[in-house]
Amino acid sequence: MPKRCRINKPPKEIKMNKFLLFLILLPKKIWATLGADVAQLRAILKVKLMLDDRRPMSMGRQQQAKKKPVRFMTALSVFMSMIIGFMYIIPLMMEDSFMGLWIYFTVFLLMLSFMLISDFSTVLFDTRDKSILLPRPVNERTLLLSRLLHMFIYLFRIVFPMSLAGWIVLGVSKGWLAAVWFPLMVIMLTVIALFLVNAGYLLILRFAKPGRFKDVLNYFQIIFSIMFFACVYLMPRAIDNTGFIQLKHTDFAWAQFTPTYWLAASFTWVEADKLSSLTQWLSPLSIIAPLVLVWLTVKYLSPSFAKRIGNIDVAVAETVSPKTTSVEPKNKSEFYLKLGNWLNKTPIGKAGFSIAWLQTSRSRNFKMRVYPSFGFVPVYFFYLITMNSKNSISDTWASLPETSTFVLLLYMTSFVVMNLLVMLVQSDQYKASWIYYSSPIASPGEVMLGAFKAVWAKYFLPMFMIVSCFVVYVWGFKAILDVVLALINITLFAMGVLRVAYRRLPFSSMEQMNEKGNRFFKTMFIMILPTSLGFGHYLTTTNPWLWWMKWLFIVLSSILLWLLWDSYKNTTWDQVKKVDLAS
Amino acid sequence: MQPILSLQNVSKQYGDKTVLNNVNLDIYPGQIIGYIGPNGAGKSTTVKILTGVIQDYSGTVLLNGKDIKEDILGLKQMIGYVPELADLYDLLTPNEYLHFVGALYHLPDAVIKERSSRILQSFGLLDNLNQRMDSFSKGMRQKVLLTSGILHNPSIVILDEPMSGLDANAVIVVKELMQVLKQEGKTIFYCSHMMDVVERVSDKIVLIDKGTIIANDTIEALREGSGQSLEKIFAQMTTSENLNETAGNIAQAMQDK
Repeated sequence: MPKRCRINKPPKEIKMNKFLLFLILLPKKIWATLGADVAQLRAILKVKLMLDDRRPMSMGRQQQAKKKPVRFMTALSVFMSMIIGFMYIIPLMMEDSFMGLWIYFTVFLLMLSFMLISDFSTVLFDTRDKSILLPRPVNERTLLLSRLLHMFIYLFRIVFPMSLAGWIVLGVSKGWLAAVWFPLMVIMLTVIALFLVNAGYLLILRFAKPGRFKDVLNYFQIIFSIMFFACVYLMPRAIDNTGFIQLKHTDFAWAQFTPTYWLAASFTWVEADKLSSLTQWLSPLSIIAPLVLVWLTVKYLSPSFAKRIGNIDVAVAETVSPKTTSVEPKNKSEFYLKLGNWLNKTPIGKAGFSIAWLQTSRSRNFKMRVYPSFGFVPVYFFYLITMNSKNSISDTWASLPETSTFVLLLYMTSFVVMNLLVMLVQSDQYKASWIYYSSPIASPGEVMLGAFKAVWAKYFLPMFMIVSCFVVYVWGFKAILDVVLALINITLFAMGVLRVAYRRLPFSSMEQMNEKGNRFFKTMFIMILPTSLGFGHYLTTTNPWLWWMKWLFIVLSSILLWLLWDSYKNTTWDQVKKVDLAS
Repeated sequence: MQPILSLQNVSKQYGDKTVLNNVNLDIYPGQIIGYIGPNGAGKSTTVKILTGVIQDYSGTVLLNGKDIKEDILGLKQMIGYVPELADLYDLLTPNEYLHFVGALYHLPDAVIKERSSRILQSFGLLDNLNQRMDSFSKGMRQKVLLTSGILHNPSIVILDEPMSGLDANAVIVVKELMQVLKQEGKTIFYCSHMMDVVERVSDKIVLIDKGTIIANDTIEALREGSGQSLEKIFAQMTTSENLNETAGNIAQAMQDK
């Protein structure tokens, strides 16, 4: 008798998916007449929706996704879309409602396009389709229909919640006619977005090498998350301060050439008094233009894109010929080797330096986590300095040199440092770190320090330099001493964090490793250290006669830094947090 | 003759699960040891102890008569290790990866460059020297791993399923390579499930099951004149199930309504 093995409980199915699937498959007859096998269609769509749920979002919060199996992503993205939709109803409150609609549709279009461009290709052109579905007895029609329906569901889940807030506001303020007209305009907007996305993809493919397509999309995601962050923090302030509400559409003559203007124009029919000869002529374009774009997309863009993306798969998976993948230019590779030789004395240190330098250049996950934080620093700084003041932005700017906010700005770079350090020890390829354990490394601290030097020199220092230039530009050369002190203090902070919380080999930990015990203290330490260093620094700027304290501070911090540096460098095998590579 | 590696009463536990139970094994220089056993028998654990990756075991491992715990770095420097299905930093190019690994073994840059390009040329991988490995096939990765394992001219080579993913020609190259290394006096510790290969290349075959070594002899001695293949011998010693019957059960399952 065969033994019965214990069957694990399957993960719960998501209700919303079930419901959507039910809705989509209601017109069974139609799908069957179109030549699709409904049972297969259901099976394919079910899996696709399930995969959508488990794929991390484009929103830039991927880091939480790894440890726990990703689920309920759809619900989360619906929620996010709703929030985004809520954010840009502000223009609809403008005095000139035409202007408001134009801005609303424009922002909507931009947000949607960016969101789609960052992960639409993975939805539409899942490369696994080829190897999994094609060998099975599934007919062409079923495949095509499954793709179209999936795309439809995908768009619906983003566009519907995104437009919800606007729909309600419009319905309340302009009556039922506007509310009925609105969904049609949203569909037109989606069509325009699809055109833009397709055109965008083609443009990327023209300029990027096929193998690097995904890297370019990665940058789009990064830009998107910075934009998102900036919108959340800066938009309310900008609206308060700039007389935004009073803007008139007649101030922007060029606007009438943008498709979103035509969409807005079509609403003037609802309010008869707004109807002008211009909008009368422009509003039919709100239907005609999208239809033309659909035709263009279907006829020219999509096939050409599908062909090219097909080539990508081939290029990546099968033919690894010297032409398709990039060969590193010689002089570029020599630069990091030279720098590594110059900054490290031992070959082990150099090895740590070069692995960190190369890995950080190429890991998408690393870029996704670290690059947005470069954008957050200026956004957040701007947010903080304008937070409490009732002054206009230009007044705040003018009075900036009299304040000590440069200390805040300088120390805010430690946010980037923190991200850098976390991503220096983490990797989804953590298992590749077996090599450290089987090779004759006497002191792992050397590898670890070499890797730290790489990210310090490659990411932190340039960023800090830019911030310093800004500080010196605004506050003058007297701030140089502060720049030096901040540089030492933030490096001290980095070293402290490494020594206390991240005594690990580069790229050797799983994301979100469970840590036993004193995690609380570590988190407290990480929070308190830069704050107290920054506060101490701030105190020295409160009075001109305290200049000597800065010197004292520099000396003390340097000594502490040197001690920590040395201790980290001499980390022994017993002190390194080891990862279980057995699994 | 003194064994180059000697395991004496080596045991290893994970929690309350005993993975290795009093293993005694002598390995002599210039030999190819075929190390076989069913899944979960303790092969990988043995290998990890021999390579110095696992250090909390009981018992003693001697390298040239000295306890390896006294000089774990000396052991690592002498051993070349090619793990099974090993991960590597595939965002790097073979050139960059091999320079990285070479540096960990304290090899000068010039030597790394010379050796790695020569080895990769023999594997037919020289054209791919500057391409990122994320687009490599399994076999190409395996070739890079093999190269990284022998780059520092180790005297003991530990190969865990080294042929996995390799094409037929590369398999011949690796089999030949084992013979050449053996003639140079190097010791080869070869773990595999490919019984026919193990049977052909090994001077001695060590069979481990449930953490205990149940056979350690030449293939001739294991056959005891019966002329059976290693595959048959392996099945007889490690399972009580009738494997034909198992296959029958699987076939039956598809037909049930």
